[in-house]
Amino acid sequence: MLVQGNRRLTSDIWVLDLVGEFPYDKVTPGQFVHVLIGDGTAHPLRRPISIASCDPVGKTLSLVYRVVGDGTKWMRERRPGETIDVLGPLGHGFPAPQRPGPVLIVGGGVGVPPLYQLAKVLHAQNVELDIVLGFKDHGDVFWADEFGKLGHVTICTEDGSVGRPGFVTEALGDDRDWATLYSCGPRSMLKALKTHFQGTDIQGYVSLEERMACGIGACWGCTCENADQSEARRICKDGPVFSWEEIQL
Amino acid sequence: MSVDLRVNLGSLSLKNPVMPASGCFGFGREYSEYYSLSALGAVVVKATTLHPRLGNPTPRVSEVTSGMLNAIGLANPGLENVLSEELPWLARQDVPIIVNVAGDTMDDYCQVVDRICQSGLAHAIELNVSCPNVQLGGLAFGVEAAVLRNLVEAVRTVCTLPLFVKLSPNVTRIQDLAIAAASGGADGLSLINTLIGMKIDLNTRRPVLANRTGGLSGRAIKPVAVRMVHDVAKEVRLPIIGMGGIYTGHDAAEFVMAGAWAVEVGTANFTDPYACPRIIEELRSFMEAEGIKNIEEIRGSAL
Ligand SMILES: Cc1cc2nc3c(=O)[nH]c(=O)nc-3n(C[C@H](O)[C@H](O)[C@H](O)COP(=O)(O)OP(=O)(O)OC[C@H]3O[C@@H](n4cnc5c(N)ncnc54)[C@H](O)[C@@H]3O)c2cc1C
Ligand SMILES: Cc1cc2nc3c(=O)[nH]c(=O)nc-3n(C[C@H](O)[C@H](O)[C@H](O)COP(=O)(O)O)c2cc1C
Ligand code: FES
Repeated sequence: MLVQGNRRLTSDIWVLDLVGEFPYDKVTPGQFVHVLIGDGTAHPLRRPISIASCDPVGKTLSLVYRVVGDGTKWMRERRPGETIDVLGPLGHGFPAPQRPGPVLIVGGGVGVPPLYQLAKVLHAQNVELDIVLGFKDHGDVFWADEFGKLGHVTICTEDGSVGRPGFVTEALGDDRDWATLYSCGPRSMLKALKTHFQGTDIQGYVSLEERMACGIGACWGCTCENADQSEARRICKDGPVFSWEEIQL
Repeated sequence: MSVDLRVNLGSLSLKNPVMPASGCFGFGREYSEYYSLSALGAVVVKATTLHPRLGNPTPRVSEVTSGMLNAIGLANPGLENVLSEELPWLARQDVPIIVNVAGDTMDDYCQVVDRICQSGLAHAIELNVSCPNVQLGGLAFGVEAAVLRNLVEAVRTVCTLPLFVKLSPNVTRIQDLAIAAASGGADGLSLINTLIGMKIDLNTRRPVLANRTGGLSGRAIKPVAVRMVHDVAKEVRLPIIGMGGIYTGHDAAEFVMAGAWAVEVGTANFTDPYACPRIIEELRSFMEAEGIKNIEEIRGSAL
């Protein structure tokens, strides 16, 4: 796809806008693309990056990524007019709410991007959204205003430099009336959420991360275990989104 | 000029010499969403064991410069599921099937090979005696000539299909293992499996892979693999399937010149899901450009 823009959002988080042919109509929120780094000679493994936003009419796809290593550094250097090889959309994204009622969306760090496309889709269906986004500090916050157009947003930072201090679970308080929870972020956050909502009948969906090779379900590199640890699930193919009852968090 | 890509590995006839390598292609379903598997010479499926295996803890893959490490740990759905679900599906895709078999004991290997042969769903067996990841099995069978010969002899008694033995590169003299496999009754040899490696994360100061070590594959191992195919081809007159870092038609031709009759493509599938059909076309173009009508014309030219 063609690079249309590549902008810095925070000190180490960037957004890459791509245009061109892509199976947009197949995209569900929470799916990812597998990005080829250079021509793949030095870096044979593609990098999994969530679809942060996708517009079938304007034919654009946006990826929000934190620069952590060689692959994401290469992504940061891409300039408008260059092309990038992305494979996708891959995996299974967030399913539509199974029950009526308000929806809670919780994101942490670079788990936030896929939740933006999700919030857009649910907002368009007139679903009431509570959105809680957790970041390290004020310099780490991105897209708070964009999310603000789609639902009621609470920002939390670990150091309290903006929004509520502390972890996202603390921001939830005693309120437990949501019908559905969608979440993406560090494992520790997903676990804390599951514990927080223990005993309620909220339906929870979580998006998981693992190191990947093929990205399409063929190599069994990226597995996690199902709830009773009797079978493996491939995060790239069966996930990355799972119902939190289905897997071992 | 029209070139003939067909190749006979003993009694196993392939329409071209390129097939995906075991463990890098599952049982074919995922890549069939990208192209028709009937374009391939054959499909070599994931190692199949008697019982289902979950494999090693994650992380179990890691990138290294021009290669990767894996410690999947022979995760697979087990013989029964492979026979009832995977092979019947693959058998409908109009492509020869080579089943890669692994086990913890000689008896495991024999039972799996016996059942696969009896099912009538496969065209050849590839015995994985070289997987470096599983503490119990794998390694022991593939590194000592006498042990390997015993295993191949035992499997031979139940194996009614062409039997390929896949050699480990983690040995002192790979020719000795090739000779042992041949004298045990192998119909052919595949090589190489992965080289044992390690990567350390500078932040955690610990190995990246939960298993600590993993098998190195991809472009980084190609010169080692070419040398080993050459060394084995010099000493053993059996059909050889060569592999290790093949990404292009030129790479495939290089293995043929080293003495391979056919090739497998592993890690390249992850970089480019269309790697196998692309390599077939590149090999065809190379032969056309060089005026090579039949792959046999260049086989072993470097020996
Ligand atoms: C389904 C999925 C969706 C993701 N979506 C996003 C996103 O939207 N934005 C974002 O910033 N990051 C996302 N990540 C994490 C992202 O894939 C890694 O940060 C990235 O691969 C790092 O590559 P690198 O070369 O810069 O880092 P390096 O550390 O140099 O990478 C080395 C190897 O490790 C792998 N790796 C390193 N960290 C991770 C990780 N956290 N998860 C998976 N593989 C990793 C790389 O892919 C590569 O193969 C996602 C991960 C998954 C599995
Ligand atoms: C993720 C992965 C899984 C593998 N699984 C198997 C396996 O189950 N059985 C086997 O015999 N070899 C297995 N291999 C080894 C490959 O079949 C091949 O021998 C090796 O990767 C070298 O080829 P390449 O450089 O083209 O990948 C695996 C390799 C990789 C990368
Ligand atoms: S990355 Fe290969 S199965 Fe998930």
